[in-house]
Amino acid sequence: MRIEVRALSRRFGKVVALADIALALPAGCRIGLVGPNGSGKSTLLRVLMGLLEHEGEVRVGGLDPRRQRLELARRLAYVPQIAPALAATVAELARVVETLRGLDVAGLAAYAEALGLHWTAIADVSLRALSGGMRQKLLVALALAARAELLVLDEPTASLDVATRETFFRMFDELPATTTSILCSHRLDEMRHLVDHVVCLEEGRVRFDGPAEAYLATRALSVIEVRLAAGADSAWLDELGFTAGHAGWWRRTVDRTEKLALLPRLAAAGDCRLADFNVRDLESIVVEDPREAR
Amino acid sequence: MAGRRAEILALARLDAHEVLRSHWPVVVGLLYTALAALLTFAALRESTVLGFTGTGRVLLAFAHGLLLLLPLLALSATGQTLNRAREEGALELLFGHPVSPGGYYAAVTLVRFGLLLAPLALILLALPAITWATLGDPVPWGYLGRTLAVGAALLWTFTGIGMALSAHVANQARAAIFGLLVWAGAVALVDFALIAVMLQWRLHAGTAFFLAALNPVQCARLALISGQDPELAAFGPVGFFLAQRLGARGLLVLGLVWPLVAGTLAWLVGRARFRRGDLV
Repeated sequence: MRIEVRALSRRFGKVVALADIALALPAGCRIGLVGPNGSGKSTLLRVLMGLLEHEGEVRVGGLDPRRQRLELARRLAYVPQIAPALAATVAELARVVETLRGLDVAGLAAYAEALGLHWTAIADVSLRALSGGMRQKLLVALALAARAELLVLDEPTASLDVATRETFFRMFDELPATTTSILCSHRLDEMRHLVDHVVCLEEGRVRFDGPAEAYLATRALSVIEVRLAAGADSAWLDELGFTAGHAGWWRRTVDRTEKLALLPRLAAAGDCRLADFNVRDLESIVVEDPREAR
Repeated sequence: MAGRRAEILALARLDAHEVLRSHWPVVVGLLYTALAALLTFAALRESTVLGFTGTGRVLLAFAHGLLLLLPLLALSATGQTLNRAREEGALELLFGHPVSPGGYYAAVTLVRFGLLLAPLALILLALPAITWATLGDPVPWGYLGRTLAVGAALLWTFTGIGMALSAHVANQARAAIFGLLVWAGAVALVDFALIAVMLQWRLHAGTAFFLAALNPVQCARLALISGQDPELAAFGPVGFFLAQRLGARGLLVLGLVWPLVAGTLAWLVGRARFRRGDLV
């Protein structure tokens, strides 16, 4: 579903949540929606789904989300960030969704099982009695089973364990190429593997709108941590820009270019001067291009 | 895809789980029972001195108690429905599916109204049955039916007002306060309080009577009294004035029709607000 937004604005009282947003995203695109807390990500998702009033023009698959919300809702599936603790049982919720959108409950059960939920065990359990992670799995299963043209996912893996996240990534990869998806997330590993386009918001405005590769190349930072071997000299680490931490660990935050330059030098030193080293993604993606900031 | 009726029924089932989990129907049932038990006990005590004055008198006293209780229960059950669902994220989940705002609004109204009315119907059947079984007093089926019909109309009035409140007031605490103010206003502005206001403000009598007739609680009260004790002492001056002009049948029609109309108007205003505004 093609997404077109022109001059989109939304205020909550005096707070400007979205200001003059313009986007044109092709059908089949996998979009990563990023930005700091309060940047307007959730508001944008809700506007696109027709849940909020707004100024400006919005078209999703050629539909006006406010005026044609029901028609749009039949073609999209949504995983909210927080799964509500409803009193209804899992089976009851499934029956309701089956009634509303003709969902096949057997198909839903298969997705749920694949995500690690034992359908027969939880069917008669109230959503309130499930853990946050289990509710999240159920909502992900509901969304995937809908086989929607547009998948809107707001932090879908925030409460999932590692194994389930891997399963989710695989399922996401297996979605038809025609499925458009919007993934709102802070996790770099999700952004890197699952999206091909990034929209970054800050204070309700678009700060970046372009290919994921271009965005991640400059803004996705990593942390390199090394631990010196006993008795090894630390001066060379100091020269490479590392700072000393606790328990013999040194660390440095790098962008991709710096990381690729540093790793061979660290590997060469690994056999005599280093006892250990890690490279990990920084948890959050920075909004600003670090090179511009410098 | 779901038809309108199937959508409403599916959403109603979902909402019924929420209401039943809160044990709200049990609380409502206990309150009705406590009121009925209190009045039956009082009537039985009175009967030891004066002779039992009849199931009809117990029912009349019960109906008077209901005039205070029903608006409060209906406002409490409905005034925070939409704003709570919004805060808990239930609306965001549901409206991610093809759920129409009007369908959801109708479904939750149906559930709340039904769960307020069902215990009332049960207790209204149980009350005469108990007095018949213990004292052999004949069951006043006519007055029983009148009380149930007028009670249902009154419940509908305040269910409609409560739903409108929950659609207009985003904050749950504020909605509860507004609900209490509506209740206080409605029960205060019956007859004697209205006369006091009239005297204080030197209002024209016709204006005061018109205001009285606008209050659904007053209408319901007159409809109930006119079926049992159509005297000045019971009616109060405004009620007596209206009774003289409308007659007992007219008061019954007024007590049924106006609360239904007022509740429906309020319900429609709330529905329009809910459909037009932000859904989450």
